[in-house]
Amino acid sequence: MIINFTTAAIVAISCWALGSLLSFFARKTPALKLPAFILSFGGSVVMVGFIAFYWSLLDRPPLRTLGETRLWYAALIPLVGFLVEYRWKIVWLKYYCMALASFFLGINMLHPEVFDKTLMPALQSPWFIPHVIVYLVGYVLLAASSVTAVHNVSLQLRHKANDAGESVSHYLALLGFVLLSFGLIFGALWAKEAWGHYWTWDPKETWAFLSWLAYLGYLHAYRYKIDRAKLQWYLALSFVVLLVCWFGVNYLPSAQNSVHTYTQS
Amino acid sequence: MMPQCVAAGSGLNGRVPFVFINNKVFFQQVVIMVVPSRRLFQPPWEFRESALFTAVAVIAGFTIQYVASGRGVAMPHLPFNAIALTLFALLVLSIGLGFREAPTVKWFGGIPLGLCLIFAIALLSLIGGVVPQTAVAPGSLPALLGLNQIFSSWPFALIILLFLANLGLSLSWRLVPFKTQNIQFILFHAGFWIALSCGIFGSPDLQRLVMKVDEGYESNLGYTMESETPQKLPFSVFLHDFSLEGYPPQLFLFDPQSNQPLEELTKTTTLVRKGVKASWKGIDVEVLDFLPYALPGKNGIPEPADSTAGIPFAKVRITSSGAPIEGWVSTGSPMMKPDAVVFQQLVLLMMPGSPKAFLSEVTVHDESGEQTKATLEVNHPITFMGWKLYQMGYDTNAGRWSQYSLIEVIHDPWLPAVYLGFFMIMAGNLLFFWNGIKQAEGAA
Ligand code: HEM
Repeated sequence: MIINFTTAAIVAISCWALGSLLSFFARKTPALKLPAFILSFGGSVVMVGFIAFYWSLLDRPPLRTLGETRLWYAALIPLVGFLVEYRWKIVWLKYYCMALASFFLGINMLHPEVFDKTLMPALQSPWFIPHVIVYLVGYVLLAASSVTAVHNVSLQLRHKANDAGESVSHYLALLGFVLLSFGLIFGALWAKEAWGHYWTWDPKETWAFLSWLAYLGYLHAYRYKIDRAKLQWYLALSFVVLLVCWFGVNYLPSAQNSVHTYTQS
Repeated sequence: MMPQCVAAGSGLNGRVPFVFINNKVFFQQVVIMVVPSRRLFQPPWEFRESALFTAVAVIAGFTIQYVASGRGVAMPHLPFNAIALTLFALLVLSIGLGFREAPTVKWFGGIPLGLCLIFAIALLSLIGGVVPQTAVAPGSLPALLGLNQIFSSWPFALIILLFLANLGLSLSWRLVPFKTQNIQFILFHAGFWIALSCGIFGSPDLQRLVMKVDEGYESNLGYTMESETPQKLPFSVFLHDFSLEGYPPQLFLFDPQSNQPLEELTKTTTLVRKGVKASWKGIDVEVLDFLPYALPGKNGIPEPADSTAGIPFAKVRITSSGAPIEGWVSTGSPMMKPDAVVFQQLVLLMMPGSPKAFLSEVTVHDESGEQTKATLEVNHPITFMGWKLYQMGYDTNAGRWSQYSLIEVIHDPWLPAVYLGFFMIMAGNLLFFWNGIKQAEGAA
């Protein structure tokens, strides 16, 4: 089982690496554009295929452990990069995205124990899949927004003009916020059915709320007279809160009796 | 003749401090030039005043908490909390609408204060997200400041109240006069206002109790976390049957010397099925045969049995340095010892799989004779007389053979209001998603 994952991961990472290399050379040789895209896209297709295979093998969606959610990130993050390139003609984002995806797969290869095989009864709910998928896509968008913001900051520091970049990071953050809001409410509705109450200030819930607040703050600051260039720093740093929420929580002292740290059962 | 803008001088940062109109220089946007030198508390108030105000509120909250020696906010029950909330909402609305031009009121309902309060809520939640929210020694500093129960502490309550006032004011200005283009704003902000205020004001009315019902018996007693004495409920529950379905069992290698499962093996636990193979550090295990329900037969070979009495048995072949070893392992049950295979100072064990589903067949009835028969299962609560009943737990030592079921019963009269808020936020979200896309398309 783990062997299969390693193969899939290596194939995907090689696809992304080769695709990036080709698309780098495609700047001078436009004929390379198509093969570069096919290779890079192929990496995500391999991961999607692996997820489908793994899903059928487990008889449940592979969404329970951190390791399993990383599979989804690895498949989806590069797709956001391609979409942004297609929609806004911004080329560089996809490199960051593919690097991030490879990094996630690397973590999984180093820690095979994150693969687990059973789904506890509380997770067997019609809310489970929408809740997690909405969150995954939201996080992917916000990760992309953060990466864009970091890039914008670096351009600012080098005094390069970059209006399009700022609207990309803003738009990604806005979409990410919409999905976070849905994820939060879906989670609350599900918690009512599974655990009896919609909100218990469980550490994971608290951190999800915190990351939602971070982006709520961003949207209002953006609406107010705050300098948009400065807000790029804010967007870049907000992702730190998301990261804590996403895997840091398991290591916090407050998480000892969280209902959401399934991996430590 | 209309004044004509001929040329604009470019000032610092792209701001335009002056314009030439009809060949005369006019200093434009004097306000912008003045803002940086605005003194504290000189109107219009903005971020510095908001930050100061918020900081004072947080400090005041912690001071009250300290003076009250760590006792949190005690909130009234129905109907007094509902009355208080209604009065508060009316007060905010009438201040918003009656004094909408007053600079202080404008500031109180504005984004700068809103942002500072959001930051304060985030900061307090951060405390709640880092400091374990469990009992600590009374009299210690965290207990005195309420850090271990931050969400019912005075600073949190104070900030939430200010937040509701701020949000309520900004809402009042968008509600009156009503415009359709404000619907998205109203859905978001009113939805959040309703969900937050009803969730918090309604929390004293939330009742959560646990019932322990034995198979073949009836109970109308519920226990809370706080007290040993049970509370009588307005209905009773009869448990016909508790049943549990598990995932397939798992294989474990156990080292009796260290008295611990071997790490490698527990990390890659394998669900037992016929034909499954697993290997750890040169030890290969193959499952030759698997009987989900069986009982020990004559000459040590298990025989299939019915599902109530039978336990899982697996025939394994272990291959390591020496000749292969074959043997039967079983999970055991409360009535039966487990079987294990011993080799090379290690023990191969089979553990019961984790539970896949557990359910209680119950009949619930009240004094007037109203009754329902239902199946309680995790994620499938039932509703009876405004109470929700949840399958919560069972005797985990006995597992499938548990003689009782733990049922959580919950009464939350404020739930519909909170859900109304949730659905308003989701509707606002949908509009926001849609308008966001349209906006971006306009911009691109
Ligand atoms: C702290 C109190 C709050 C105040 C004073 C406030 C005020 C405002 C104002 C004045 C706007 C600009 C509206 C416009 O230009 O049409 C706005 C936008 C918005 N608010 Fe709030 N708000 C607050 C809290 C919230 C909360 C709790 C939520 C979420 C449930 C929220 C969600 C939004 C959204 C999604 C927008 C649209 C942002 C955009 O169009 O870019 N606000 N808010």
